[in-house]
Amino acid sequence: MSGASRHDRGWILILLLLAAVLVLPTVREALGSDVFPGFYLVLLFQILFWTAQATSWNLLSGFGGYFSFGQGAFYGVGAYAMAVVTGRQDGSWLVAILVGGVLAMVLALVVGTIAFRLRSLRGEIFALLTLALPFILLAVARLSDAIDGGQGVIVPVPEFPSFFDTFQDFVFVVGGLVAVLAVAVSYWMSRTRYGWALFAIHDDEDVAEAIGVPTFAHKMYAIALTGLLAGLAGAVNAMQVGFVTPEGTFNLRVPVMVIVMSVLGGRRHWAGPMVGAAYVTILQNRLQGGTLEGWSLIILGLVLAALVLLAPDGLMARFKRRRWLVAGIVVAVPVILDVTGLADDRVWAFAAGLGVAAIVGFLPVRKVAAVVRSVETAGSPVDESVAPIAEGRVVAETVEVRKHFGGLKAVDGVSVRVHEGEILGLVGPNGSGKTTLVNLVSGLLPVSDGTIRVNGTQTSGLRPHKIAHLGVARTYQIPRPFPSLTVRDNVAIAIMFGREPKSLSAAREEADEFLALVGLSHRAESLPGGINLHERQLLEMARAMATRPKLLLLDEALAGLNPVEIDNAVEVVRRIHRSGVSIVLVEHLLRVVNQLATRIVVLDQGHVLAAGAPSAVMTDPKVVGAYLGRRPDAAGL
Amino acid sequence: MEAVQAAVSGALQGSLFALMALGLSLTWGFLRVINLAHFGVILLGAYLTIELAGPTGLGPLGSLVVTVPALFVVGAVVHLLFDRFRVSELNSLLISYGFLIVIIQVVQNVWTADFQRLPGDVNPYATQSVRVGDLIFPLPTVMAALFATVLVMAMKFFLDRTYAGRALQAFGQDREIASAFGIDHRTLGLLLAGASGATAAMAGMLFTLRGTVTPDSALEWVGLVFAIVILGGIGNVSGTLWAGLLVGAVSGLVAIIWSPATSPLVVFTLVVLALLFRPQGLFRRKAAH
Repeated sequence: MSGASRHDRGWILILLLLAAVLVLPTVREALGSDVFPGFYLVLLFQILFWTAQATSWNLLSGFGGYFSFGQGAFYGVGAYAMAVVTGRQDGSWLVAILVGGVLAMVLALVVGTIAFRLRSLRGEIFALLTLALPFILLAVARLSDAIDGGQGVIVPVPEFPSFFDTFQDFVFVVGGLVAVLAVAVSYWMSRTRYGWALFAIHDDEDVAEAIGVPTFAHKMYAIALTGLLAGLAGAVNAMQVGFVTPEGTFNLRVPVMVIVMSVLGGRRHWAGPMVGAAYVTILQNRLQGGTLEGWSLIILGLVLAALVLLAPDGLMARFKRRRWLVAGIVVAVPVILDVTGLADDRVWAFAAGLGVAAIVGFLPVRKVAAVVRSVETAGSPVDESVAPIAEGRVVAETVEVRKHFGGLKAVDGVSVRVHEGEILGLVGPNGSGKTTLVNLVSGLLPVSDGTIRVNGTQTSGLRPHKIAHLGVARTYQIPRPFPSLTVRDNVAIAIMFGREPKSLSAAREEADEFLALVGLSHRAESLPGGINLHERQLLEMARAMATRPKLLLLDEALAGLNPVEIDNAVEVVRRIHRSGVSIVLVEHLLRVVNQLATRIVVLDQGHVLAAGAPSAVMTDPKVVGAYLGRRPDAAGL
Repeated sequence: MEAVQAAVSGALQGSLFALMALGLSLTWGFLRVINLAHFGVILLGAYLTIELAGPTGLGPLGSLVVTVPALFVVGAVVHLLFDRFRVSELNSLLISYGFLIVIIQVVQNVWTADFQRLPGDVNPYATQSVRVGDLIFPLPTVMAALFATVLVMAMKFFLDRTYAGRALQAFGQDREIASAFGIDHRTLGLLLAGASGATAAMAGMLFTLRGTVTPDSALEWVGLVFAIVILGGIGNVSGTLWAGLLVGAVSGLVAIIWSPATSPLVVFTLVVLALLFRPQGLFRRKAAH
């Protein structure tokens, strides 16, 4: 199954959806109201409206993992734009929809600018920040007579183009177009760097930065699109409903609905929120009226809790394996029920189809053994035959760098140079500041004082992804692969966001070469959770190399390995070095340092204790003392 | 004088929201669970008070004999589920959101969506007030302030001075290390979540003393109470009380200077600013180390 055919299939589905939206009014008229009663159209409008809302929410909150309770605010800005522009200003419906979309996007950008500037912002705090948003807008809408004033605003039926028979036809098509736009944006993102940046942010934002993803920019794109699409859909919905009130608009109903829909359908899949919207809207519709009236929210609440606990990946993740079977059930069950006359109502028949599909989706899948793609180890992207460049030019240097955490001086005036072609061993006892220095050079932590230069460019104040693009890559002491991406995609994403941006398909092809470099080709399709520590550390190296660095910072990349694995890792590091990359090797294992390092720097309590050739440094009494915990002058006792 | 009256009255009302925030802050800070269902438990406390106070002759304060143990159990059972499935912080937010919706709808099915209030004959407090010099305060808000102060002091004593309290603090800071040192987090967690449910019973009772309640009251509390939890510092019990008093006083002042409708605008703007500049809460000193 090649990437290209899947690509086309998604667009074909979206075009079919578009065509269905456009022809439905004509089809409805041809069928007559006996076969196609008017309320079908309203129900379909609601499904499309919620598809747009849930899909829009999912861009930032599903793909990116930043949960928002503020969807009601973006939706409400759109709704009130429609109410004010057409109800109070006599503007046209088209202007109103566009104003709604743009204003909601502006609001989203303001929220994003405030929230995402915070380096320490955690997802939970963002969620609660957005929780405050509808309450603020509620107060504004109540207070301002120009917007509402507390009485609610009537939205007049607009003058719509005459080729629509009825207002319901018109509003259905407009709402449908917004929904198709939302789904198309979601699909497009899931196939390009715009979505993949969010997947990386969702999994591990620090690592995303370190491999070159401009996380701030991508969060802003996502929140802007979320706001825009929610505003557009909100405006159309206000037109359909015909009346808006502050309390009915800026509340927690919209966030409840979009969260349940997206979690049910699946947050990682572009079509997940659409599937969830169909399920929830039809469920709500069937529970209205009748004896189950008061049960609708109870069922939704329990479904949400149960799904998060038991099936957090949602329906789409379940349907993927058997999409034809599911599609067949969704079509066949209603048709059979209708033809045989078992269901007196077509909506019930359709609901039954969805229900059976969901049950089938949750049946256990037989695990298909992963097909191991054999990839030749040849054709590595880095020319291993080249001998390391003679040590010369300075690749990176720190000048009098300090990092203080309160009173703790983790790094206290360290000046180190890394030359081209060198493997610099950075050693020292626990707490000597090795990892902190790595974090400073890679930009994860800002320096308290001093200068760091990479290839002559000063890096203080640069975001980590800029430093990555200057040619610094790193690994983590405890491997931090993106848990929801396969081994190959972990590497591919680093290629996509390299100095020269690459498309997903190009990056995937190239990724295999880096997996071959570290000897991980046989694991390309596995998820990081399914490989062992040694393989995860090799994956870290492959991902770092995929950014095409000039300087590679290996932060205890061999910790916790057995002797055979260490020998293998040492060989991989040699291979990387031979390709012309300078390496800083932070390591506890002196055997490894002695084998690999061309020069050694010893840190102790944030200072450089000694530096020089391995043999000289390792016999230096000061170094011996630092390691054995004695003062040098007492060493002879 | 008018401003002083408004500020102090507001602060007293704020103490009720601080009491609501107390349980939420404790479970978030020490058990790493953001329990939106807490608002549903408070709602249950309010409706059970109305249900029990009259017919049983217990009165609103007396009905605590039933509601406190009952909601202690509810709080503990909800936590049992979180603990059993090792729910992450963000997922606890989602799951408890589901529970909150369920509780609100159940309350609506049982007691209808109409306003409910305590009958006048079982709620003598509603019409009484406390006079301090020229200032007059309704008795229900003074009672809320008393409950909040006593509970916060008791909780502070428990956390700082008892072995179990310190163990909880250790657990809040680092679960794995604390478990490795033999802290039985399960029992302690259940007790704390139960205690949080018990405070919800009291908050619900105090809310009914002041006036009417509807199923949607629970959603109306969410914004203000979270504001107090965050301003006070997550897991900081005395900070929660101070934040409640502060938010109440600011609301009261804004209401008389501009208009009551403006106060949420000001309060939530303050929350946003606080989140940006002091995400650790207004009242937490910088860690000593």
